[in-house]
Amino acid sequence: MLSYILKRLSHTVLVIIAVSLIIFFSIRLTGDPVSIMFGAGEPTQQAIDDLSAKLGLDKPVWEQYFIFMKDLLTLDFGTSYRSNSPVLEMLLDRAWPTIVLALGGMTVALLIAVPLGIFSAVYKGKPIDIFGRIFSLLGISFPNFWLAFMLILIFAVQLKWLPVSGFDGFSSLILPSIALGLILSGILVRLIRTSMLEVLKMQYVTTARAKGIREWLVIVRHAFRNALLPTVTFVGLQFGGLLGGAVIVEQVFSWPGIGRLIVDSINQRDYPVVQGGVILLALIMIMVNLIVDLCYSLINPRIRIGRGDN
Amino acid sequence: MKNYKWITLLLVCMMLILSACSSGTSTKDGNKNNEKVSGENPAKGRDNELVVRVAGDPQNWDPIDTYLIAWSTVGTSVFEGLTSRSLDLEIQPGLAESWEYVDDKTIVFKLRQGVTFHDGEPFNAEAVKFTFDRLLGEEGQKGPQYSNYTSIDRVEVTGEYEVTMHLNTIDPVLLTKLSGYGAVIVPPKYIAENGAEHFDMNPVGTGPFKMTEYQRDKQVVIERYEDYWNKEAIKLNKVTFKVIPETATALAELQTGNIDIMTRLEVSQAATAKGTDFITLMDVSTPTAYSIRFDTAKAPVDDVRVRQAINYAIDKETIVKEILGGYGNLISSFQSDLSFGYNKDLKPYPYDPEKAKKLLAEANVAEGTTLDFYIPGTDGTFKEIAQAVAFYLEEVGLKVSINSVENTTFQSELIPKGEAGHMYKNGWGGWTLDFDNTAYLMYHEGEFWNPSYKNDKVEQLLAKERATNDSAEREKIFKELTEVLHEDAAEVNLYSDVELYAVNKRVKNFQPPHDSRFRFEGVTVE
Repeated sequence: MLSYILKRLSHTVLVIIAVSLIIFFSIRLTGDPVSIMFGAGEPTQQAIDDLSAKLGLDKPVWEQYFIFMKDLLTLDFGTSYRSNSPVLEMLLDRAWPTIVLALGGMTVALLIAVPLGIFSAVYKGKPIDIFGRIFSLLGISFPNFWLAFMLILIFAVQLKWLPVSGFDGFSSLILPSIALGLILSGILVRLIRTSMLEVLKMQYVTTARAKGIREWLVIVRHAFRNALLPTVTFVGLQFGGLLGGAVIVEQVFSWPGIGRLIVDSINQRDYPVVQGGVILLALIMIMVNLIVDLCYSLINPRIRIGRGDN
Repeated sequence: MKNYKWITLLLVCMMLILSACSSGTSTKDGNKNNEKVSGENPAKGRDNELVVRVAGDPQNWDPIDTYLIAWSTVGTSVFEGLTSRSLDLEIQPGLAESWEYVDDKTIVFKLRQGVTFHDGEPFNAEAVKFTFDRLLGEEGQKGPQYSNYTSIDRVEVTGEYEVTMHLNTIDPVLLTKLSGYGAVIVPPKYIAENGAEHFDMNPVGTGPFKMTEYQRDKQVVIERYEDYWNKEAIKLNKVTFKVIPETATALAELQTGNIDIMTRLEVSQAATAKGTDFITLMDVSTPTAYSIRFDTAKAPVDDVRVRQAINYAIDKETIVKEILGGYGNLISSFQSDLSFGYNKDLKPYPYDPEKAKKLLAEANVAEGTTLDFYIPGTDGTFKEIAQAVAFYLEEVGLKVSINSVENTTFQSELIPKGEAGHMYKNGWGGWTLDFDNTAYLMYHEGEFWNPSYKNDKVEQLLAKERATNDSAEREKIFKELTEVLHEDAAEVNLYSDVELYAVNKRVKNFQPPHDSRFRFEGVTVE
């Protein structure tokens, strides 16, 4: 097990190098931060050169890359062009709200999808199943900015139950979590329903029933546990995606998250923030994937990760 | 079958609920739906403080490090310059009580006495000298503001409350520039003791409000400075600027009473704001101008007749009326009528498609010639305008290919390198409210924003304009300059921007600023 984790972690280094190369060179193709920073002024050539030198942009790109990677080894992500603050500090500051939001979204998705998915499969063809399928279709089809605005209109403007936007306490987490979670639950319902249907056909389920075990125990302990495998993979991947991809929801709810920070930084060509942010997200994605793989062995003891190495 | 009925019923109910809620923001039922809200103003409980929505955060507060309107929206209440500008845009005394031109290149400023910075440090001639030494020195040269003040050679202390400013060249727009942005006065002792980095996040000025809280991308709080030299004018205790990028979200915050003033309302939201009875809709003209600029290096728009033809072919009046809901002012040159140098006698090109066709025929432009038109992808309103333009140009036999590109690449790469097609969107803030800055950067050969335009007469007039401080003389030069540019049709001038504000009725005496720089003198809340 330990050697498996170590092996996986060593792959991480390779992935980080690949990600850093792509992001470092591609963002430099899209525009020059110095001209943006001077805005509507009339800078002299001297001023442009001085600023480029100060930001280290006067050196060849490959040299800039090596400096960046060298600093990264000591966890120095550089300094933002825009705000002059350390990038790592900015990212950690913003990562927290994003993680909270992703967890909130995931919780909503699971709270809806797990029971609905199970009931849909167990009562196949009954009203609850049809409702589950329609819900799933609607969930997949609705764009999440529309849903976000609808939630604001209903629960904040009309009913006044919850705050419209911001990041102050639990109540402001509810609407963005629902906006994020509802869409995700649409796909999850389908996934759980399909894998449940497959598992319910299995012989061990029939055996369990024949033994006279109570129906709900059969469903939860025997069937659902086995149907969980594909769900865990999917949830893991989606959680990684939520961290980077919740930008629209963050924008609508003025959520001070990392997605919004990266998008703003791309617009301002704030290279260090974009580079650092993308690398941080890649790291989180890798970690989440690792955790998902480890969870496999916990859910299904037949999968023994790392045994092949011995 | 029974099951399906049940589900259909459920869906219909859901849709009804959703549509009932969403119509609360649209025009017709606006009043009806908001009746529940209208009995009580939801913001009433808030104390003697104001909450303002802003769309963006400037990220840093050191005046020499920024050129953003987002900075001055807040910064104007924290910092002051030697001169200031009234809400009607008149230049008036600021930290200097008076000034006098000794000659064209020397100005003596008499400073206001008894003024202190927010940390208690006294304001005097040394502080003014420190500010300009910093702005024009090594530190300032690395920032975006330096280039606006290169006409200042040095500032000399000639008394405890008197400075003499020596210029190296005549600068007719200097007093305007001293009223804001980079030239606001900063505290020498505070910066020396705490360092520029600390100052950047914890700014200290002499303004009516001191900054007491700053959470990047979230909110800025300013509170009344009790020792302000003109403190009778300030009635509010506190103003909070909340950063809300999305306009629809901001409108919802306004409707729930969480904010008092919303900036940059979209035209499509005007009806909702009007329909809520505790909200007043206000509009104000701004110096921002929009045009379709030609890249005169590219055929066929290198021919003045083609450029004129395109000007005649587009019905700008209808565009403003239909797409902008009337919230825009037609312009004849690339500046708003608020700006010094605006030629009121010059009329915009009228809509005349027949004349356009004739000019195109004269210039031998083949029917169906395609023009590339570049616009930034994020600007939904301009996308509609571009489509209208394409329609009008098709009417006179030209084809338009609209290219929507990422905004920063568009501004910093494509336009300066002359890669933004035959025509592209051009927007300009014009914060000096003087045509000088705009005209020079747009039409002087070799400027960053001017990839190809060149006109000898224009060059002559630009040089002449910068060589005198005499307003009457400059006005005459600008009159001629605008006529030359109009005739040469360097662009299609569309409109100058009108900004919409939605304001909670509990706010009294608030006048929306023309230049997005909030001033709270006299503003009170109920």
